[in-house]
Parts: sequence; structure tokens; C-alpha cells
Amino acid sequence: MTNEQAVYEQAERPRREALNESHVWCVYARRKYEEPLYEIGNVMADDVELAKVYARSIYDEFAWIEMIIVPRNSIVTIITS
Amino acid sequence: MTSITKRTDHAALFAIVSSLADNKQAIGRRYAYWCNGAPALEAAVAAAAMTQDELGHARTLYPLLDNFAQAEADLSQIEPETRTLHYHLAFLDQDFQGWSDFVATNFLLDTALTTFFKAAQDSSYEPLRQRARKIVQEERIHQMHGEGWVRRLTNAGGAVRATMLRSLERLWDETLCWFGPADDLTMQELYQENMLNSTPDELRQRYLSEIMPTLNALAIEMPVRFDVETKSWQPSQPLPWSRWNALARRLE
Repeated sequence: MTNEQAVYEQAERPRREALNESHVWCVYARRKYEEPLYEIGNVMADDVELAKVYARSIYDEFAWIEMIIVPRNSIVTIITS
Repeated sequence: MTSITKRTDHAALFAIVSSLADNKQAIGRRYAYWCNGAPALEAAVAAAAMTQDELGHARTLYPLLDNFAQAEADLSQIEPETRTLHYHLAFLDQDFQGWSDFVATNFLLDTALTTFFKAAQDSSYEPLRQRARKIVQEERIHQMHGEGWVRRLTNAGGAVRATMLRSLERLWDETLCWFGPADDLTMQELYQENMLNSTPDELRQRYLSEIMPTLNALAIEMPVRFDVETKSWQPSQPLPWSRWNALARRLE
């Protein structure tokens, strides 16, 4: 890394850190009414509306009939793996 | 494609569809640059999805131009591959300077175009009506994305907030102008023929009522005021109509 690049990186770091996402949302969906919801993945977003957009954009491989997101930190573990 | 034998003679509708198609195409192209440059992986995927949507909207609009007598003057202008006229906003002439320009375009311009499509959902011109309904449906998620990112960048404070505000300011006037002046002949003709359910001023007010709650909640001050009597938002300073190109629907 050149000195100029290092200076640029240093100046940009606070901006990037300000945009770091810290909330994980678990994404659940199902394809048929007779199926239960199952976990298909997760997204990171601090804004719930953005979390919805991300979940729909990323997990668009099927024509889901239902999709929900749940904040991971609200999940209560009963039996740990 | 020149399969239409009897074309509709309607200069105003031809002009608006041209502008809508060019803006959608230009937005899609500018978004495309950010499919791998967004601040987060999730945002990059969303940017890619929105790019596809915008280019898709352009692809459903350009073929409509072939239905008009006005297309006969130069058939190369109805295909995006050969079109040399650019009736998109001047803001879209250049690459986005940063992610905040993407967000401003998403939040301001795309919402303005959606305001138009909402007003055309019961249009007397069936091809526009059909497309408007589909586009409005797809744009709901774009609006959520735009609002979400304006909130994120503004709440980050400092230089990030300042950059976001600059992007909004750069696009503000031209977006408000896109609806045309109060006596805009093109929009007025569409309104009088029930192709659109609002006048330019009504569209602008409806648009401001869409975006101002988000901006107000973030204490972002833009040159508008709320008129208590009419219960509507109005520009608080004159728009730059001296630079308005009515044909291309953009500022010079």
C-alpha cells in the first residue's frame, strides 16, 4: 500500500465504521401452505425496513408464499448445541 | 421493430413515454455501477435487484414508442440500442460520485417517477395503465430501500450526513421540475384526456407529501413549506424554469 492509499484508507475508516451493520435478522420462509416456516438464511441491517428489502432481494430463488424476519438477539435458546 | 401499421398520433404521450423510458434506462445504468460497490453485501444484492427492475421498466416502455406516429420521423430513436436522444435528467449524465448519489436517485427521482405511474394507474391509454400498475407494485420495495438508506446515512452524522444532504440538494430542483411547470402543455394534455389523474402541480404536491415525512423526521431542511390552508407541501423558492428544457424534460 502506498502512502497516499494509507492516508485515504485512514480518512475513509470512520465513514465505513459509521455504516457497519450490527444487527442480524434470521429469515424464515415457506413455499407451500402445508409446510412450516423454516430458516433460509440471515441478513445484517440496523434498519428493519432495509432488513426486509435485503431479505426479499437475497432470498428470491423461490416464489415464497410467506417470508418473515426475526431479530437474532430476540431468540431464546433452550438447549444449546 | 416496425410492425405497427396504424400509429397513434399523440405528441404529448410520446414525449412523456420517451422521458419515462430514458430516465428508467439511465437510472438502471447508473445503479449497475454499484452492484459490487455498495457499502454492504446485502445492499449490493439489493442494488443488483433494483438495477434489473429499472432496466426492465425501460424495456417495457421503449416498445410503446413504436405505436406512435411521432416515431416515424426517426425510427432509430425508438430502440434503446440506437437511440441518440437522452430525455433523462441531467443529474444522470455523469457517473454517481458516491453511494449517496445512488440513494438520492433512489429516494428522490425514482419516487417522483413512481408518483407519475401511480397517477396513471387508471389511465385511458391502456398500455400505460397496464405498465403503471406493475411498476407501482415493484417500486414499493425500492421506496423502502431509498427511505432506509436516507435514514442510515443521515443518522450516521458528520461527513456521512453532509454528503447525503449534498446529494439530495443536487438532485432536488431537477426532480421537482420533472413534473413540469403549472401550465406544462404535455402533462396538461394527458390530464385533460384522462391519461393521468393529476395536473403537474398536484403531482408535485403528492410527491412532496410522499417524501417529506421521511426528511422531516430526520430534520433535513429542504426549500419547501407546508401550506396550512391547502394542507399541502409547496416549493418555498422558485424552481429554475429558465434552465428547463420542456422537450427533454430536464435542466440545461
